[in-house]
Amino acid sequence: MIEVKDLAKNFGRKKVLKGISFTAEKGEITCLMGINGAGKTTIMNAIMNLTSFKSGEILIDGEKLNKHSYEKITFIPDAITMLPQMTIGEALQFMKDFYTSWNEIRAKELLEFFRLKENEKISSLSKGNTAKVNLLLGLALDVDYLLMDEPFSGIDIFSREQIANVFTSHLVEDRGVIITTHEINDIEHLIDKAVLLDDGMVLREFSTEEVRENEGKSVVDVMREVYQR
Amino acid sequence: MKNYLKLVDFELKRFINIYFVLIGLTIISQITGVILKSRDYLERANVAIYENSLSLEQFISQNGKLSIHQLLQTGWFMIPIALSAAALIFYCFLIWYRDWFGKNTFIYRLLMLPTARLNVFLAKATAIFLMVLGLVGIQLILLPIENTIFKSIIPVDLRMDMPLNEIINGAGYGYLQILIPNSFVQFLINYGIGFMMVFILFTSILFERSFRIKGIIFGIVYYFVAVTVFLFPIMAEIYWGFGYLYPSEIFVLEIILGLLITVFSIWLSNYLINQKVTV
Repeated sequence: MIEVKDLAKNFGRKKVLKGISFTAEKGEITCLMGINGAGKTTIMNAIMNLTSFKSGEILIDGEKLNKHSYEKITFIPDAITMLPQMTIGEALQFMKDFYTSWNEIRAKELLEFFRLKENEKISSLSKGNTAKVNLLLGLALDVDYLLMDEPFSGIDIFSREQIANVFTSHLVEDRGVIITTHEINDIEHLIDKAVLLDDGMVLREFSTEEVRENEGKSVVDVMREVYQR
Repeated sequence: MKNYLKLVDFELKRFINIYFVLIGLTIISQITGVILKSRDYLERANVAIYENSLSLEQFISQNGKLSIHQLLQTGWFMIPIALSAAALIFYCFLIWYRDWFGKNTFIYRLLMLPTARLNVFLAKATAIFLMVLGLVGIQLILLPIENTIFKSIIPVDLRMDMPLNEIINGAGYGYLQILIPNSFVQFLINYGIGFMMVFILFTSILFERSFRIKGIIFGIVYYFVAVTVFLFPIMAEIYWGFGYLYPSEIFVLEIILGLLITVFSIWLSNYLINQKVTV
């Protein structure tokens, strides 16, 4: 389980996270939602120790993040994390060289799934294909937790569909996923838990199934209630 | 250790094209310099002796014998070395900043590798060191080759032959003496100071990458404090002339200070890259 406890961060004098707390379970898809500037990406970066925070605690299966944790949790940011001059094949080789959790078979499977070619240069890829390569690099790791920052941002409808299909496939099964997105419609039916953020605070954290069953509401309905209050 | 070596290899490969261009430029420029300057001298000798009817002795007394030492003071030699030095100094910044800026944010990948982040820091430093040493090595190989070319163009009567160590020691402005010291201890001092400066610079860069605007001030202050502390024993002797310490004691003090500053810079960088750095 990923536990974020009372996380606070300032950018200069501005408080960007004001005591954020939530949990994300293994085998569940947790969605962080909020308008730009709500603090979604900062939370992701903080979980991965890619930015410092003022106070609070982040635990991954009860432990603080350390160098070994990167074999257990991975982050797929909204920009590609490989060099533009690399080919896809070279990027895969880089991952294979450094990660013991790299799953070569799954990487090949994902290449086919996304219809990508190993000899293509990253710099020559369309935005959609770049997002797919980024996703591939994360999904081909045998990790327990996946963090995805805006995986649908700025890409065409077909690529979006393809990426959304990943969530219903065995590629994500049993893993804990934390995703941030504006495009809630693409994955509304897939998410297990939603965390609604605004101005660095959690406005509401809820199980989507409970809300559907007990209140008869969709995620979008709850978002409307919370944000248009 | 394995990951550190893989990272060093990776960092070297990222600069290899520009590095080969620098090596190529140095080789071409210096060898061209030897050929052109030697031919120019020979041409002048021919004109003086065959057209102006000067004797060989008269020509030598007027123009002197040509030595490779004179060639080393020309732009053909110094410009590629200066260019390589400037490129490597610039690369000390680029090796970090290119991972943050541009379309691709490779720093995410580097910081998320399942290895100690200090390895990323040390791999970048090692890549710089290896590139510097590589260029110096190339220069060391080039000098005897250039000397051979020089000897093949200029007849023995018109040239002044020098052994390699004299060529290095006699080079204009002593620039080759800094690059290729004539003793192992001097080599350790020159390159020790150089590498310490690289570590201080890397720490300053990490200050900036951790605290951004405030970090620029922290970085600059850190750089000047570290350099001032290192130079303090020498500066104190020069300006205040206390005379408390013998030169050999100042030397030992400098070595201790240099080692302390290097270790402190690595420790501080390790803290910054693990606790403070922001993508």
